[in-house]
Amino acid sequence: MQQYKKTQNKLILVLVGLPARGKTHISYKLNRYLNWIGYKSEIFSIKGAQQNNDQLDQNIDYELEIDPTNQQFVDFRQQLSFTAAHQLVNFLQNDGDIALYNGLTSTKLDRQKLKSLFKEKLKLEYQVFWIESICDDPQVILNNINESKLSRFKEKTIEQFMNHINVLAQDYESLENIENLSYIKLINIGKLVKVHMLEGYLCSKIVSFLLNLHANNRQIYLVRSCQTEYHLLDKIGGDPELSVTGKQNSQQLGDYFIEELKGNKNITFFTSQMKRGIQTAEIVGDKLGIKALKTKNLDEIDYGICDGLTVKEIAAKYPKQIKERKANPLEFKYPRGESFLDVIHRVEPIIYEIERSREPVLIIAHVAVLKCLYAYYHCNQISEIPNIDIPINCVIKLVPIPYHCLESRVIIK
Amino acid sequence: MQGCNRSQKIAICTVGLPARGKTYISRKLNRYFNWLGYKSRVFINGNYRREICGTECNSLFFDPHNEEAQKARSDCAKMALQDLIQFLKNGGDVGILDGTNITKERRHQIENELKSSFNGIQTLWIESICNDSKVIQNNIRLTKINNPDYCNMNSEQATIDFLNRIKMYEQIYETITDDENLSYIKTMNVGADIIVHQVFGFLLSKIVSFIMNLHTYPRPIYLSRHGESQYNVDDRVGGDSDLSQLGEMYADKLADFFYQEFPTKEIKNDIIFLTSTMRRAVHTSDVVAQKLEIQPLQLKTLDEINVGICDGMTYTEIAQKFPNDFQERKINKLGYRYPRGESYLDLISRIEPVIFEIERSRQPVMIIAHQAILRCLYAYFHQNEIPEVPTLDIPLHCVIKLTPAAYFCDEKRVLINPQTGEISIKEEYVQEFVRSKSKQKSFIDL
Repeated sequence: MQQYKKTQNKLILVLVGLPARGKTHISYKLNRYLNWIGYKSEIFSIKGAQQNNDQLDQNIDYELEIDPTNQQFVDFRQQLSFTAAHQLVNFLQNDGDIALYNGLTSTKLDRQKLKSLFKEKLKLEYQVFWIESICDDPQVILNNINESKLSRFKEKTIEQFMNHINVLAQDYESLENIENLSYIKLINIGKLVKVHMLEGYLCSKIVSFLLNLHANNRQIYLVRSCQTEYHLLDKIGGDPELSVTGKQNSQQLGDYFIEELKGNKNITFFTSQMKRGIQTAEIVGDKLGIKALKTKNLDEIDYGICDGLTVKEIAAKYPKQIKERKANPLEFKYPRGESFLDVIHRVEPIIYEIERSREPVLIIAHVAVLKCLYAYYHCNQISEIPNIDIPINCVIKLVPIPYHCLESRVIIK
Repeated sequence: MQGCNRSQKIAICTVGLPARGKTYISRKLNRYFNWLGYKSRVFINGNYRREICGTECNSLFFDPHNEEAQKARSDCAKMALQDLIQFLKNGGDVGILDGTNITKERRHQIENELKSSFNGIQTLWIESICNDSKVIQNNIRLTKINNPDYCNMNSEQATIDFLNRIKMYEQIYETITDDENLSYIKTMNVGADIIVHQVFGFLLSKIVSFIMNLHTYPRPIYLSRHGESQYNVDDRVGGDSDLSQLGEMYADKLADFFYQEFPTKEIKNDIIFLTSTMRRAVHTSDVVAQKLEIQPLQLKTLDEINVGICDGMTYTEIAQKFPNDFQERKINKLGYRYPRGESYLDLISRIEPVIFEIERSRQPVMIIAHQAILRCLYAYFHQNEIPEVPTLDIPLHCVIKLTPAAYFCDEKRVLINPQTGEISIKEEYVQEFVRSKSKQKSFIDL
């Protein structure tokens, strides 16, 4: 697997925080990102352990509904938390690279116990990084409950959730330097961030990533550049200009976005540095009254020696390569060109840009590049990338919401 | 990748007692911004004070109760700020104000002045806090003793006076608090603790990442081209040719050199060893890797500049087939982009993650790559101006060892004869144009 740097050590990311502080959201986002850049990463949580255990009542939220007087509840919770931790250890002992832990971590004692468990059970080099989410903005907490808790437990009310949280808050202990842990504290969704004893390439990357996260559910539009003469000739690659039809379609795209964006000029607008990308973006941009930022990172995958050939010509000239590509489409690298893995690496800064943006994002690019971007939001495995369908003259609208991503496609006629 | 709205100016102001690394951070950031293509400049309060009040100021000049001196210092600080504002108004993108700025009142004045001078400026405050007396002593030793303020004292007297100066500042030091409503980063004890408050935006987020990874460990960076390749022999550009016989010999001698350079297993395991994905570099690296028993990381980011349609041609052929391009490249080697290929500016953008990674590392870094790529890497650490990049001298069969220090970069060139293994070392190699830069006209000119 090609990664920028393979971790020598296994990495454990432990989440800390009261319920409705976005821990699950953060772990979900991080997990998605880490898998996308090529690490084998998984989340281990009380919820997960509960779902795997058929004997338990799935309607109870063991993370949240703690009644200190009900010893059975307390015990179950402990048990689930330990189960999750053991599953985590197992995962890392095998071929897992990074594990995220969302279990009992609210008190100093809990954390010490967890540290000891890892020390005792993990028979290899590992690093632990603690991620605490703190929130004292009641509006944000309310939003979190509405978006993520109520949908799962329909008989509960907001009041009941708030009561549960208050019970848990009484024993909650925030991370302190004296515990000698390497950590990041995110306070009120990144308004204030505290980092302590940051070490290592991967943790550094994770911190950079976390700094860009926010909770705005804004739209992301992925569009291919419009038709070129190469399309008509069935050629791949090259740097052709738009055909007449392509220009017309770009106009229609522009019209679509005028309606869709409703006059919002603050959008994040990117395109590649290839002629077809620039031209499509210019026509669309003119209609919207905004200019796209051109970046080489969004250029189409480099087809190497196959650049400019038709599909038939490639099949005739390079049958060996075609076979190789069929066998392993994700890692296949066009000779003197790139593989999908290279494209993912190249496109990573764009993902940061998209994550950071709190306004709608519009990206006009090319098939392979868009497959990689799409996969970040939608796929659980990057092996699915080569099979993603990104049709021309089609606007793919993605709206990331907690734990999920809404998608809609509109064909522009 | 430059994703920022150019019309939005950025002002960065440092905060902290003397000898806390403010100037170091300012210079590093300045270097990074200029490298990314932004027009950036540092305005050092201390330099203005030296220019106007002279350098004979001992610690009593910094006594907060010395009203006359206070006024003089305040005027100098105001001048620095005004120059920064003018710079931003005249096309500058990033202005860095390097000063102590340790009182709430001063910070408030500066913030107001900046906000009222521009319609939408992003300000960022960087406070450097350090309680480790060893680190402070070291800072003083490395940077203050050679300070023009102390040219008439010996190092012992200078240190005592400087420590007294710090005491003067400590009397009125007020750390940044949240109610000042500033966007700030606090870095404590060289990055052991970092606090980020209300920092949003593309460039500012990048700054946070950059600062989190800054350190002052003097680790060496070894740069070498691959051994001579077949295309080098034929004088062709591009391609993915393998090593010539001479090139293979170099790989062997290079492995020997590094074997001597890194004697123990601990050191070897810690090295960050990077190469490209092209045959000639991989081949050279493999020989070194085998001898040292370490694994190189092959990065496409380090591949040679893509020469597009000129791939595989000699310069003569290019001049014949594409005379216009040939001319264009001669005039503007930096910005010229090979059709379907890259320009040096593209390269600079492409290698940014590698630069970041090298900055971050506290262990020795070894890179075996290609001429154009190494020109860019070299230029960044050696503080060359971007227009100089395309013509820097990075010969074959030579290891360049750079050791970046606080305010400068040590360089040592090791030329290895591939046939005999004979080594000739050039210490303090100076590229011609660097020499002329050292003739500063005043302290204010940085």
